[in-house]
Amino acid sequence: MIEVSHLVKSYRDLKAVNDVSFKVEKGEILGFLGPNGAGKTTTMRMITGVLPPTSGSVKVAGFDVFEKAMEVKRRIGYLPETPPVYTDMTVRAYLRFVAEIKGVRRKQRQGEVDRVAVTTNCDKFIQRVIGNLSKGQRQRVGLAQALLNDPEVLILDEPTVGLDPAQIIEVRELIKSLAGKHTIILSTHILPEVVATCQRVLMLASGRVVADDTLKGLQKTHAGAATADGGMGPAPSLEEIFLKLTSA
Amino acid sequence: MKNAIAIAKKELNIYFATPIAYVMFTLFVVIGSYFFLRLLGAYEQASLQFMRFNQPEAANRLNFQDVIFRNLFGNLGVILVFIIPFLTMRLVAEEKRQKTIELLYTTPVTPSQIVWGKYLASLVILTCALLLTVTYPALVQLVAKDANGVEWRSVGLGYLGLFLMGAAYMAIGLFISSLTESQVVAALITFVVLLMTWIIGWSSSESEGWMREFVTYLAAVSHLDSFGKGTLDLKDVVYFLSIITLGLFATNRAVESHRWS
Repeated sequence: MIEVSHLVKSYRDLKAVNDVSFKVEKGEILGFLGPNGAGKTTTMRMITGVLPPTSGSVKVAGFDVFEKAMEVKRRIGYLPETPPVYTDMTVRAYLRFVAEIKGVRRKQRQGEVDRVAVTTNCDKFIQRVIGNLSKGQRQRVGLAQALLNDPEVLILDEPTVGLDPAQIIEVRELIKSLAGKHTIILSTHILPEVVATCQRVLMLASGRVVADDTLKGLQKTHAGAATADGGMGPAPSLEEIFLKLTSA
Repeated sequence: MKNAIAIAKKELNIYFATPIAYVMFTLFVVIGSYFFLRLLGAYEQASLQFMRFNQPEAANRLNFQDVIFRNLFGNLGVILVFIIPFLTMRLVAEEKRQKTIELLYTTPVTPSQIVWGKYLASLVILTCALLLTVTYPALVQLVAKDANGVEWRSVGLGYLGLFLMGAAYMAIGLFISSLTESQVVAALITFVVLLMTWIIGWSSSESEGWMREFVTYLAAVSHLDSFGKGTLDLKDVVYFLSIITLGLFATNRAVESHRWS
């Protein structure tokens, strides 16, 4: 569904993303990990077509992000780092506007807005002006916006930032329930979240891919080194693997 | 086109959800009314004088268009120079600062639809502002039953001139707003540029020959005045339309290139 090959983004001498390649199959949830400044957001922005890569290519559903930009945009729901909300609009007006530019037909628009508002729990404050909402509420409006028009691919940049523990669990459940039908790339700093929701983990460190495997596979690869007697050691936690890979 | 209208609706929603449109309308009408009352007073004085000295010929030549409306349109044009920077400053700059431009970039909307949507909204705001001032000729018409009344054709042409000039200014403001993330910077630069289109006309009296004609052509005021006189000249229409085209084209380029920076 998503095919990233040899993606490079450089700012003068700094290579923010350095030769990143990976594939995401249809219906998969990919956990995108890495320390701050590893290039997660930059990679996601290149996948959505906001940022042009220095070299390399991205294909979504078989369409090149730059040559067939419109086809790709129709299939992607994107939640950037900062939720792209207009602080002077009400939640309802905002969602209606996004539904309109995403091409939801007039007759279905109301129903579609209500559907995403209910799934993301925005329906309680749908009449309020976004500027007066809390950070977590804005985050949920951003998530609701990404879900509009039911896109095949969801790119979520730290979707649970600013949410309270109960809401984090809700969003996690929501993302899990979207698996299968939707292809999701999820970036986060919260490692248990990856354990709970993602089938596969992609780890970046200073712009390079340092791990691309299932969680079990990662534990297997890194367990051997953990013991001295040559046998299988205790399965390391994702934290341990993360620290080991990113500190190098 | 559908997307452009959706964006225009969103812009209008924000214009009227924030105080900016109301504040600018109020300023426009308050200052406009002050000028209107001054001109009305001047007309009154002139006609009294002609009556006192028994000059019916001069009194006959006195008409609303020349004494009141032609000057009024010039004055309203000056006020537009002051209020349009504040109406256009937000348009693209704020989207960049709040990162909402990323939303527009990741939805199936083209840069030209973004530009058209925003420009359409600004034209609606301009039309609203101008419609508020139609009260002036309407008031004159109401009280001037015995005189010849208002020449609505000339007044209409004056409004067409004001609209075209406002539309050209909006295009300039939109372009400058697309160059920066700061609303204040956008407003300031727009104001300076719009002011230049007026004060460049002053130097026309100091130059001669083709230079003089060139400077006069560049100045917006001479084109607006031509409409105010009640004439429709192709060269004035072309002047404003070319500014609009240039402004929108440049904005389109700026919006398109923003993501490459």
